[in-house]
Amino acid sequence: MKLKYSLITRRTFLNTLFGGWLFAFFAGTFSALMKFAFPTLGKEPDFVVLNRKDFTDLANNSVKRFPWGGVVGLYFKKADGSVLALKGVCTHMECNVAYKPEERRFYCPCHQGWYDENGKNISGPPPKPLEVFTIMEEGEKLIIAKKGVKVELPKA
Amino acid sequence: MNCPKLKSWLEERYDWEGMKRFAKRKLVPEHRYDLWYYTGGITLFLFILQFLTGMLLAFYYVPHIDFAHKSIIEIVTKQNLGWFFRSFHHWGSELCIAFLFIHLFGTLLLKSYRKPREFLWATGFILLGVSIFFGLSGYLLLWDERALAAVRVATGGAGNFPFIGGFIKAFLRGSIDVTGDTLTRFYAFHVAILPIITLLLVGLHLLLMQYHGMSVPLSLEKEKRREIPFFPNFFYKDLMVWLVVLGVLATLAVLLPPEIGAKADPLAPPPENVKPEWYFLFLLETLKLFPGAILGLNGETIAILMVSCAILFFFLIPFFDQRSARGEKSPLFTWIGVIYLLYFLTMTVVGYLS
Amino acid sequence: MRRIGVVKGLKRFSLFRFAQPMVMALFVMIQPAPSPAADRIAVFPTTPFDAYIIYESLAVLWLAIIGLIVIIRMKLREIERIQEMGIDKEDKDAPLLQ
Repeated sequence: MKLKYSLITRRTFLNTLFGGWLFAFFAGTFSALMKFAFPTLGKEPDFVVLNRKDFTDLANNSVKRFPWGGVVGLYFKKADGSVLALKGVCTHMECNVAYKPEERRFYCPCHQGWYDENGKNISGPPPKPLEVFTIMEEGEKLIIAKKGVKVELPKA
Repeated sequence: MNCPKLKSWLEERYDWEGMKRFAKRKLVPEHRYDLWYYTGGITLFLFILQFLTGMLLAFYYVPHIDFAHKSIIEIVTKQNLGWFFRSFHHWGSELCIAFLFIHLFGTLLLKSYRKPREFLWATGFILLGVSIFFGLSGYLLLWDERALAAVRVATGGAGNFPFIGGFIKAFLRGSIDVTGDTLTRFYAFHVAILPIITLLLVGLHLLLMQYHGMSVPLSLEKEKRREIPFFPNFFYKDLMVWLVVLGVLATLAVLLPPEIGAKADPLAPPPENVKPEWYFLFLLETLKLFPGAILGLNGETIAILMVSCAILFFFLIPFFDQRSARGEKSPLFTWIGVIYLLYFLTMTVVGYLS
Repeated sequence: MRRIGVVKGLKRFSLFRFAQPMVMALFVMIQPAPSPAADRIAVFPTTPFDAYIIYESLAVLWLAIIGLIVIIRMKLREIERIQEMGIDKEDKDAPLLQ
């Protein structure tokens, strides 16, 4: 079917072609730049392996920090001797929480949030309890894992 | 793009038509030598690319002597496309300075510096010094053996200036020798001080260019010639040239990525046959020509003085060349320009081959 | 503008899809044996797969640039044609759209 008149003008055709090609060109360049600008971020680990010896002489009602990926984890020995491992990051705005032994509660100084001995949020802005981990002991090693994660140690 | 609503929105607030008319006013002459008109734009384009890639590299570079070398190795080996942006930045600097010299000698031999464009030449000349300092300061940031040796020689050479030499050396180095203080200082120059100066000078340079229009060689001034509007005709031609330059630069970056030498050790002797970047070679070879002592005076000081005089003369050429200022042919200065060019080329080649 | 036949275009497309992995395999096979250089820092990705991707990207970049230059030349020719006809001046007294 031959048309009598063109559906678009030459100007529109050329400008669209130019603009579209230019857009694709810059999109490609821009994505390369973006790949560079975003660093190779580390993922949060599923579990960490620690030395059991470092944590055996912990006094009751005190806390020992351990590294959890890039953030802090808390190995908590309660007053009655039982142990609990939690992520020491406040669920409100991600500040680090501290343990107050006199009050037997965790405290976040950023907005005065309080958590009880089991990590449950009891006062202040935190919306959720602190994340609790499972503790496993394998010989020399102390393994702290996310709840529900199957731990497979690499063959040394 | 035909967006009548957008157009009327702009026109109700700004004199859009006035701006378009102003842009269309600029004309570019067409003649035998009009290829030279592209050199300035290419240099500007390469400068912009250097700014962009430099900003990206600054995300990850650490300007401390214990971490500088390592951070560059991290960029090159671990970052996504890090090797590419570093290679691109390196080749960008080589091409930018090369085209800067082409632009320089082009305007010299075509006598674009003559009245009324003296300040264009002056701002351009200062930009040349700034660019070379960009190259030197950027080069040190790698903190490898070559860079350390090259900067030692360059700052040491500057120290041979009579009276103010020691002051210049201390200002550049930040301490007695090239140390961590020098690295910090050169980083400040490279990412903060020089970019601001460059932006101001390039802005002035472009403004003056818009004001004066394009210069036409003396021999062709009287002829009647065609003039094409800058926008859109020359603009699109410029864009095509810039795209080719981009392609060539990317190709060089991919096919010839620069090496990373061993980390600098201030106490170790320099590596074998260490040479500065190519745009310093002509200065080095000139210095080598002078004997240790002339008539009882320090040979290096005499050398520096003579080189400085030559550079100063070069800077003031528009004011010395009175014949071209009057619009007459000035063969003496054509020859002077040719001699400068030949000297520069010969000394660079000699320095490269020795 | 000459129109490329739809079927021909598809055929061309499918053949290209077939050729690409062959070229990649060829490229990987012709890699030189690694030379025992003393701790030379890898300024270029080492795996042949990555190297192939980079060269192919370079080729695509050049195609994109050539395409852009062709389009710009078309635009320039059109602009020059219009200017020679003398119809490129906008009407100064055209009223603004309300």
